[in-house]
Amino acid sequence: MKHYNRIIKFVVCLQALFILTLFLEVNSASAQLTAKANHDHITVDFFYHGSTVSVRGISDPDTDLIIKITSDDGHQILREKGKVGGVLWMNVGELKLDRVPNMYFLHSTKNIEEILSPDQMDKYVMGYPALEKHVGMNASDQAEKDKWFNEFVKFKESSKLYGATTGQISLTKGTDSQNYYILTQWPYQAPPGNYTVSVYAVKDKKVVETATSNVVVEQVGMVKSFANMAKNNAAEYGFISVFAALAAGFGVGMIFRKSGGAH
Amino acid sequence: MYLYLPVALTSINILIPIGLGLAVGLLSGLFGVGGGFLMTPLLIMFGIPSTVAAATDSNQIVAASVSGTYAHWKVGNVDFKMGLYLLVGGFIGGLIGVELIKVLRAMGDAGFVIKLTYVLMLGSVGTYMFIESIQSMKKKKTEEVKEEKDSSISRFLKSLPLQTRFEKSGVTHSALVPVVLGGFVGVLAAIMGVGGGFLMVPVMFYILRMPMHVIVGTSLFQILFTCIEVTFLQSYTNHTVDFILAVLLLLGSTVGAQVGVIFGRKMKGDQLKIILASIVLVVTAKIVLELTLTPSLLLSQAGGH
Repeated sequence: MKHYNRIIKFVVCLQALFILTLFLEVNSASAQLTAKANHDHITVDFFYHGSTVSVRGISDPDTDLIIKITSDDGHQILREKGKVGGVLWMNVGELKLDRVPNMYFLHSTKNIEEILSPDQMDKYVMGYPALEKHVGMNASDQAEKDKWFNEFVKFKESSKLYGATTGQISLTKGTDSQNYYILTQWPYQAPPGNYTVSVYAVKDKKVVETATSNVVVEQVGMVKSFANMAKNNAAEYGFISVFAALAAGFGVGMIFRKSGGAH
Repeated sequence: MYLYLPVALTSINILIPIGLGLAVGLLSGLFGVGGGFLMTPLLIMFGIPSTVAAATDSNQIVAASVSGTYAHWKVGNVDFKMGLYLLVGGFIGGLIGVELIKVLRAMGDAGFVIKLTYVLMLGSVGTYMFIESIQSMKKKKTEEVKEEKDSSISRFLKSLPLQTRFEKSGVTHSALVPVVLGGFVGVLAAIMGVGGGFLMVPVMFYILRMPMHVIVGTSLFQILFTCIEVTFLQSYTNHTVDFILAVLLLLGSTVGAQVGVIFGRKMKGDQLKIILASIVLVVTAKIVLELTLTPSLLLSQAGGH
């Protein structure tokens, strides 16, 4: 009998736990943020010229959204140009950056300064001022850091690897949720690697929910074979490059000679 | 149509490299220059990283120069003996130049010296060739003065030991002369990061007194070997040769070089010199503008020239 009571208690507990879980799920379902990128695996073949990636999902209807697409943080070295002797523009040094993403795109429903507090922007590295604080740089003082970070953003934007838009996310409001959608151009300049699409739901100047999705860019087929060979079988690759150039030069020379061009 | 370049990690409209190859190959066949001083900056302008642009350009010059050398050899315009002496000098000069660059880098003035050498060498060679060609075309009395000046130089050259006859060029020089001149161009080429064809052509014409048509073929022969070495070393040590980009470039440059040889045979030596001098002066002006005008971007990719 004692044993029987224990089993009943255990089943009741299980039922209570199940009901509680259901209750929690139902409660958050209306506000649950989802994110899905249509291309989570971009293949780079010979005819690759960039791609389009759409991000869509569901969010709470009372929230604003920020979508951040970044590569992993890394280390970058760039050449700095400056005036030598007050006359000539030349390379004067190196800009070394740490904890810096090679690609950084930010899309938001409204201007992020309006919808997010400064400390939240810093916490989630949203916007160029927050990114500047996040990045390590070999600058002597803050003024130098500001100057070269602005130049860095200009350089990255010209390479189509950095960018920010406001109001490009389309929203379809429902009663309990809203659907969001954005179509972004994926630049061919973005090298192979792993990229993270982070979606932030924002309310009362705070991030209230996040969801992420991944995009992998990978070389395939002959492009991958050539890239691997250049890196791993460098001597072989060098011989083939020289041999192909010699053969092409002789080949065209012979064709022209046969057609009488060189006479 | 766009093609993705596996080493440059970028995509390019194939008409751009083929067109660039055709244009630079034409110059190669016409004047016996590799064209690196034109091609590398143009490739960078079209989004190719500087290290890949310089290395891949060497690869396509191999194709253009073998195509041009073959065409010139078939019509008897390559002085292999002179070419080999120049090559030996160029090789030694290249080694000295590389060491010199290391010293300059350690002193922290490498960039300034390289740019200054570029502007001074291109500017003076271009200006001298331009003026001399116009004077020569007008056939003014200056010829007598030149003869006077030349005789002192040629007297000195003739006094040197190891005199040898270069049949194809129809000249007799000490074997030391092409080796030393090749070495001098090699040092400058290494400092400036270019093949040195545009320096070698005036050296062969004004100092070695070779006929213009033999100069073009012999210069291409010499450039061929230099670029084979550079292509292999760049592939092996820096992994910066983009084979696909090189193939696109050489599709244009091999044909361009052949067309250049055909045009070159129809033109007079002075006409060839005056066009080459004009191109060299335009490139010099471009470099001077780059050095003096405020650039739109103050940062660039590290690596390359």
